[in-house]
Amino acid sequence: MNSDAEPIRILLAKPTHDCHDRGVRLVARKMREAGFEVVFSNFLLTEEVVNAVLDEDVDVVGISASSGGHLGIFEELLAGLKEAGRDDTLVIGGGVIPPDDEATILGWGVSAIFGPGTNAGQAIEMIRSNLEGAS
Amino acid sequence: MFDESTIAESEKLAESWTAAYAAMVEKFGDQAPARATQPTTHSGLPIKSAYFPHDVAHLDLDKTGAPGQYPFTRGNLPAQYQLMHWANQPVIGYGLPEDTRSRMDALAEQGMIGYFGQKFYNLVYDLVSHEGLDPDHPAARGRMGQCGMGVYSKQDMDTLFEGMDLEQMNVVHITYYQVVPALAQYIALAEDRGLTADQLRGNSMNWYHQSAYVGMSAFPPGQGHKLAVELVNYCAKNMPRWNTTNFFGYGAEEAGGTAVEEIGLMLAYGIDLVRACIESGLTADQALMRFGFQIAQANDFFEEVCKVRALRRIWATTMKEMFGATDPRSMHVRIHTHTAGALLTAQQPLVNLIRTSLHAFGAALSGVQAMEVSAYDEALTIPTEEAATLALRVQQVIQEETNITSVSDPLAGSYYVESLTDQIANAALELVDEIEAQGGYIAAQESGWIRRRIEASAERWRELVDSGERVVVGTNKYVTDEPPPANLFKVDPEAEQIAIERIQELRANRDNPSWEQAMAGFEDAAKDFATKTYPDLDGSLIEAAIKAASADATTGEMMGVLKTALGWRAPHEF
Repeated sequence: MNSDAEPIRILLAKPTHDCHDRGVRLVARKMREAGFEVVFSNFLLTEEVVNAVLDEDVDVVGISASSGGHLGIFEELLAGLKEAGRDDTLVIGGGVIPPDDEATILGWGVSAIFGPGTNAGQAIEMIRSNLEGAS
Repeated sequence: MFDESTIAESEKLAESWTAAYAAMVEKFGDQAPARATQPTTHSGLPIKSAYFPHDVAHLDLDKTGAPGQYPFTRGNLPAQYQLMHWANQPVIGYGLPEDTRSRMDALAEQGMIGYFGQKFYNLVYDLVSHEGLDPDHPAARGRMGQCGMGVYSKQDMDTLFEGMDLEQMNVVHITYYQVVPALAQYIALAEDRGLTADQLRGNSMNWYHQSAYVGMSAFPPGQGHKLAVELVNYCAKNMPRWNTTNFFGYGAEEAGGTAVEEIGLMLAYGIDLVRACIESGLTADQALMRFGFQIAQANDFFEEVCKVRALRRIWATTMKEMFGATDPRSMHVRIHTHTAGALLTAQQPLVNLIRTSLHAFGAALSGVQAMEVSAYDEALTIPTEEAATLALRVQQVIQEETNITSVSDPLAGSYYVESLTDQIANAALELVDEIEAQGGYIAAQESGWIRRRIEASAERWRELVDSGERVVVGTNKYVTDEPPPANLFKVDPEAEQIAIERIQELRANRDNPSWEQAMAGFEDAAKDFATKTYPDLDGSLIEAAIKAASADATTGEMMGVLKTALGWRAPHEF
């Protein structure tokens, strides 16, 4: 991706009832510093995320979940994106997601899960190489 | 603290030590680690490489005193653990009420015990109730019984406490903003069982202040603060054994704040809360006597111990000097330690047992009243019963095998500990001044200043970890290839459907005319409450809530009323 290219647009979204937002907000700041256009939002219903993907026309959507409930969110998100014709959106996740669930979610087509101990740089790199590869 | 000749001698000793130390460091040249040349605490406070008597010479005995003596630096009471161990307060809660109950019973069986042998339960509600919803709300999917217990009504509470004598136990209700429904449902249950509110012992968290640094939807700060005062006011008049407010310092440190920020923020909030309680017609003593704290115990061992000692001192001096508190209980900082969850790692999870043991040991040395020790698998999921039992064993080993419980404030008099305690106290007071200059805690919460400050600290921590300067064993150093952890806990997937059916049955079967009447009364009270100022607060919102809860109003229904009347908004902008 050269410097003339449009900046990568990403939506980072976190359920409102999940208080563990220290990580995702840091990731959001780091991505912004790295030149991404970052939209951060808290959501109650997954359809809000799907709508935000459409409204904000993002390339990537990242879900942060550290309090459970992640299976339903990813399932609904993938279905919603497909229905909206936006299943080209790169979907990633992060937070406290048990290994079994991670395998399930990756099996559904989510591109990566960044668990505890990973850092923003890894996610930035993954997104860049993924979007470059696609173009 | 020392006479002049001792100070002079101490300075001379320090001088010769400084030269000898410098010579040692010199040999390492550029290879000398930063901790040898520019030592700091994890909060970033500069410290020395060794301490001497003259470092504490300025600390008169009135700043330290005796255990149990103002300003309580050395502990609230003359006896610390000699007569009574700290209370074991593991956080419990998952799944359906009966699931949580079985974990409560299992841990009680393993020796979990409260003050003077009383039953003590520290119960956390689930994500659905934290959001103020019922389990059949579309946004509840996958969250019922996660991170807490699915208890949404008086009936659920009845299941949870089946066959237990509520008068003979102490129950902490860990709620976020659904404080009013949870307390109301508990009181309503007690009344059904022939008790009155004044016979109940336990805690409401009253955690509206945490929305300054915890990112969940919440009431607007001003309305939240008013709800906090309303509860203090109600309990001061009706529930003399009930602890009304828990200062959630733990959350501030977990969100990334430093030790200094944790205690500084709590004191700043304490000032705002007491101020408002006095405006509502209470005396400082009436409000203060039933406050408690949840404080983190994190990695910088001495800083975390000294933080607790410093908090006791600055809380007591501030409450006495600023508000004229006179009862010693009003000046006491009663602490429930929570070992730092954010420092646990998903990698090599058993290593967390070592971390939590050190955290718990520090808390014990600092003289806290109760403890939750995180389970080693908490960075992965809800603890298994085995992990929860081991966490309890950490407390029991320290309590019963180490003999540290024989001496009050055993670290007192250490030049380092006394000096660092003073340094942290002063740094925290500076932070309080900075917040007061902005109009107080609620103003700094409204403006987002608190959140920005905490996030800046979180970012500094992350940079240190990413650069390897701050070591996290198993994550950025001593990394191993390991198989994915096995035997992780899972909430029974059928539980969600059961919870949904129960709440729908409750709505169908309750006495709906009574419910309608009680809910109408609660709606009126909430509308009225929205426009009230502190002097108008009189506990009437809580009274109306108890009536609604008594008529089987659910958490989602009651929170719906409060959200509509007071506003409810997403947390901090980014």
